[in-house]
Amino acid sequence: MYIIVAGAGTVGFHVASLLAEANHEVTVIEPSEDVVEGVRRQLDVKTIVGNAATPRILREAEVNRANLIIAVTNNDETNMLICFLAKELGAVMTAARVRNPDYSGYFITAAKSPSAARKVIRPKTLGINLIINPEVEVADAIMGMLSSLYPTPGESFADGRVQIREFRVDQGVLVDRPLDAITFPQPCVVAAISRSGKTFVPASDEVIQNGDHVYLVAHRDSMDEFHEMFAPPQHPVRNVVIFGAGRIGFLVAEGLEKHGLTIKVIDESTDRCQEIAARLERATVLQGDATDPDFLIEQGVPAADAFIATTDSDELNILCSLLAKNLGVSRTIITVNKPGYVPLAEAIGVDVAVSSLLQVASRVTHFVLHGGAISAPFIGGKDVQAIEFVTSTTANIAQRSIAEAGLPKGVVAGAIARDDTVIIPPNNSVIHPGDHVIIVSSLSAIPAVERLFK
Amino acid sequence: MRIKVVCHYLGLLIIILGCFMLFPLVWGLVSGESASAAFAIATAITIGMGLVVWRLTPVGEGRLNRREAILLVAGGWILASLFGTIPFALAGTFPNYLDTLFESVSGFTATGATVLHIVEDQPESILLWRSITQWLGGMGIITLFVALFPVVGIGAAHLVEAEMPGPEAGRLTPRIRDTAKAVWLLYLGFTIIEIILLIVAGMGIFDSINVALCTMATGGFTPTNQSIGTYNSVFIEGIVIFFMIAAAVNFGLYYLFFWKRQPGQLFKNPEFKLYMALLVGASLFVTLELILRSDLPIGSALRQGIFNVTSIATTTGFSNVDFDTWPAFSRSILVVLMVIGGSAGSTAGGIKVIRLLVLSKLTSRQVRLTFNPRAVIPLRVGRAVLSEKVVSSIVGMSIAYIAILTTAFLAMCAVGLDPVSAISSVAATMGTVGPGLNLVGPAANYGFIHPIGKGVLMACMLVGRLELFTMLMLFVPSFWKWR
Repeated sequence: MYIIVAGAGTVGFHVASLLAEANHEVTVIEPSEDVVEGVRRQLDVKTIVGNAATPRILREAEVNRANLIIAVTNNDETNMLICFLAKELGAVMTAARVRNPDYSGYFITAAKSPSAARKVIRPKTLGINLIINPEVEVADAIMGMLSSLYPTPGESFADGRVQIREFRVDQGVLVDRPLDAITFPQPCVVAAISRSGKTFVPASDEVIQNGDHVYLVAHRDSMDEFHEMFAPPQHPVRNVVIFGAGRIGFLVAEGLEKHGLTIKVIDESTDRCQEIAARLERATVLQGDATDPDFLIEQGVPAADAFIATTDSDELNILCSLLAKNLGVSRTIITVNKPGYVPLAEAIGVDVAVSSLLQVASRVTHFVLHGGAISAPFIGGKDVQAIEFVTSTTANIAQRSIAEAGLPKGVVAGAIARDDTVIIPPNNSVIHPGDHVIIVSSLSAIPAVERLFK
Repeated sequence: MRIKVVCHYLGLLIIILGCFMLFPLVWGLVSGESASAAFAIATAITIGMGLVVWRLTPVGEGRLNRREAILLVAGGWILASLFGTIPFALAGTFPNYLDTLFESVSGFTATGATVLHIVEDQPESILLWRSITQWLGGMGIITLFVALFPVVGIGAAHLVEAEMPGPEAGRLTPRIRDTAKAVWLLYLGFTIIEIILLIVAGMGIFDSINVALCTMATGGFTPTNQSIGTYNSVFIEGIVIFFMIAAAVNFGLYYLFFWKRQPGQLFKNPEFKLYMALLVGASLFVTLELILRSDLPIGSALRQGIFNVTSIATTTGFSNVDFDTWPAFSRSILVVLMVIGGSAGSTAGGIKVIRLLVLSKLTSRQVRLTFNPRAVIPLRVGRAVLSEKVVSSIVGMSIAYIAILTTAFLAMCAVGLDPVSAISSVAATMGTVGPGLNLVGPAANYGFIHPIGKGVLMACMLVGRLELFTMLMLFVPSFWKWR
């Protein structure tokens, strides 16, 4: 596919790198020559210096043959304009990063009274096929983690009937045993193992080590029965402290409030505190420094069930979440801007580090794969993806079983969902057209998997 | 730096090289030459060594970083030159190994400086191999490698950048591999067309293949001592002139021409325009002098002037007459043309016309700044404004080129050459031209030069072909250290 990325900020750079590595043709447009220089040094992509919101530059980038243009400059209006122009000039698909919820209509539902806010922008009229809002993606992910029982998110497939959940191995019966020697209480498939920062699809004789994160594919109803084999469950979240009242912090606070949790929001800026205190209904807003242990103890942080750090500074987030952990908070979640910090933060004791980049990247990659894949979240870091395919009548794999078709190395089939039944493990069942097949694959093997479903 | 990973790719590169030895092997077998045995052994050694190295070293995780890519390019060129000597050595073409290596380096760098006294004596398979080394080196063996094998990621871009001559040359497509494929496809296409045209023009099949391979590489080896003069045909000379110029023009322009349907870009390109002006101007002056001072009839003055000027200015090194017998002004023009060379992104060598263009604009800006220091004057090439960073790298490269040229000139004088032979031998090898003037003129060869002098010239060829820095980096200690 030919993809144009407009704007080589952190998100643009990361998305371009991911797509180029997946062997797509990528052109990056960016006004700053220094930034372009950096891109040219590090990525195998074509670069154009200039303003992407002009037809001349878009034409230079051959937008007429682009399968997708991703507008991720740091300006909402520019991004929307880029998509509009690109669509006019012949781009097939467009995606724009739009942060301002008033534009994207993310949280604003159709108003009942004419005077109330409504979705002012219908993305379609602007020629935007996909609106990406990194902050909203991250906030959704964080809320997802808190609503589940475990401090890591579960991914749902096939209308929620099949789930992939992460379990942590901690001194249990599983340590030092190969996978094929383990009997699970319910049918399930070990889709991936995350070990010291690397996620991979295990072979059947892979030996489980202490501290591994194991990703299981199973039916939603049987998920609870795996708990006893892994690290003990934590009690449901009741009190949550959020440090950093930026966009993400606010969105999380607002969302959790709706779930009936007790929220304390801490921010260092008095102005920002006043602003969000007015917008949040029940949450306690505190002005203070979250790196000050006395302040945290005074505010009852040690008794909180979760501590979420969402400031702009990765280092600050890591530090104060470690402090909170030290004070006795059992669950700490932070946002990081640099994806490289994710394994680092988790290695030194932060429970989950969420990177907006990885969230956006997963969204974009999903979009690129759009054909037969309806959902494709990353599992663990960015090495492994779980993809839900809808089998078409002409698919290579239709009317054959997975064992017969033969999956490439680094790929495992998780489940088949058909009408009311879910088949786990799916290897020996014949796949019918219309079946939803959940495949877990390393990034490099995805093209081979896609061929099976083409 | 992961030396083993670099070796893995080098192994693959040597295998490709071995595969190309099959062509002279088959040719030799068909025409029943004794040199076939040498080629059979050489092919076996080369492919075998390549396979061993390739199998024994790991693929390596992640992509090639810049250092590894540069090491791969430099190492690839040195290894190709070394393995390229095997057929010559086994067939006993040259009296000693140094001469063998000189011929091989001269081949791969598409220089065309030969140490052979009598070319016609050699078996056809050896001559074909000489031409194939030029053809491989002309567009770049590493670029071919990138086109053939998926080296995903930025590693491939580093590879092509380190090998492709000229500033800002290289990327035509979003994926560098598509660029490598496109230029090699163009190169192959041009070569095949030239072979056909030469056959039609009456040259024998074997000679046509050799001449075409060496023309497109702007190499300059020929299967005869008299170079293109052997055939004594205006028609053939015309064809060769056309393809020499075609090979010395930026291949990116052909990409726009054929793939993007923008033929106008070719004639709008400032480098192309300046290059054509240089060719026409130089031919004109040489022709005039040949008429006025050497009393040649207009027809043969034009024929000699245009052919040899084009041959030198495209850094090919063919000749249809011994241009060393020309008067002084014409010979001096040739030396200047050797240093300037062809266009960026082509198979030609030299400083490159685009750099000359930028340097002259820089000089004019400097002059204007002298009487109006507050003026802000951007450096434009066509419609694009060059950033100061690009300008400074062009200046740096040009100064380094002249510095190396001067040093090598002194070295050649030190080993006993007269100044004219020394400067022309250095300019002809750094610019990958081939024949120089006086003792190393088109009628002579490089065989008599002192071994140290041959070493210096070989270094000049490699440094000149890879545009200095790729080779020079190997001699910087910090390149090898971890930091």
